[in-house]
Amino acid sequence: MAQPHPVPAPSDTALIAAWQAGDEQAAAELVRRHARPLARFLAGAGAPEADVDDLVQETLIRAFRSVDRFRGQCQFRTWLMTIGGNVLKDFGRRIARGRKIMPLDDGVRDGAGDPHDHAEANEAEALLAAGLKVLSRLQREVFLLRAQQGLEYEEIAAALATTAGAARVHYHHAVRRLKEMVE
Amino acid sequence: MKDDARLNEVAQRLGGHAAQRLDVEATARKVVQRLRDEPAHRSTWIQPAWLRIAAAVVIVVGGAFTLRQVWPGSESGTHVAHFVADDLSDLSTDQLREMLSLLDVIVASDSVAVPESSTDLRELDAQQLRAVLRSLEG
Repeated sequence: MAQPHPVPAPSDTALIAAWQAGDEQAAAELVRRHARPLARFLAGAGAPEADVDDLVQETLIRAFRSVDRFRGQCQFRTWLMTIGGNVLKDFGRRIARGRKIMPLDDGVRDGAGDPHDHAEANEAEALLAAGLKVLSRLQREVFLLRAQQGLEYEEIAAALATTAGAARVHYHHAVRRLKEMVE
Repeated sequence: MKDDARLNEVAQRLGGHAAQRLDVEATARKVVQRLRDEPAHRSTWIQPAWLRIAAAVVIVVGGAFTLRQVWPGSESGTHVAHFVADDLSDLSTDQLREMLSLLDVIVASDSVAVPESSTDLRELDAQQLRAVLRSLEG
């Protein structure tokens, strides 16, 4: 008896079209696919861990409400991250107005393994997180999209409305500055 | 963390805890619920347009006022003053006072001819109020 072929998961584009046609489950599926990478990006870009949940939600809400403007110039996930960058910028402004004090990022603490190794890993992450805060927003986002999310320069360029060459230059400047800062 | 590979390795770990902590199913439910409960506010996009219109109005009105201050005797200024002066004759004393109250800020400037003996607009009669308003016309 022939094995039934597994049904391929619908593409992001198909889910976006379904959401635009009123299918709420399509929106929920897009959230399931992209919420975690988005959370990682936001936390890496300086979002306080306690606020990541809210910032992820806010980013997704903004994205769904302006999805008509998504023309497929880059992946949906990359586009989400550029919106996340704007949401984080607005959040930073609210903090600057004195609503609350930005806590330092706690970094990764999973509690398992050798405590010395974890302390070293946490220190490296804390150093990088501190270095990223000093970079310009564009350098920080290009660095994270490249180093953390593993995107190609062409994809980064399409998302940030720049050229692949410019994205490459921003990335190398970011790396150079981060190395200087952590030395 | 001097080499690129180490930097990338640390970057890939960055934010991992926050991502793991995120309750994806709860996030999906909340996002869908919010999309359902809070329909898109078009005013978010309309607002900047209104601000631009308001700014344009301020520039036009402010520009006209400045021009009148710079060339008080210009033909257009006289023309406008003529019509305003005509309208003033039709206003009652109360209407004139109300109008002057709205112009308190301008009245405070030195260019306005308020009768020296008076410090309160309520003490002025209709003729004096008209004189004050006409002096505002430049």
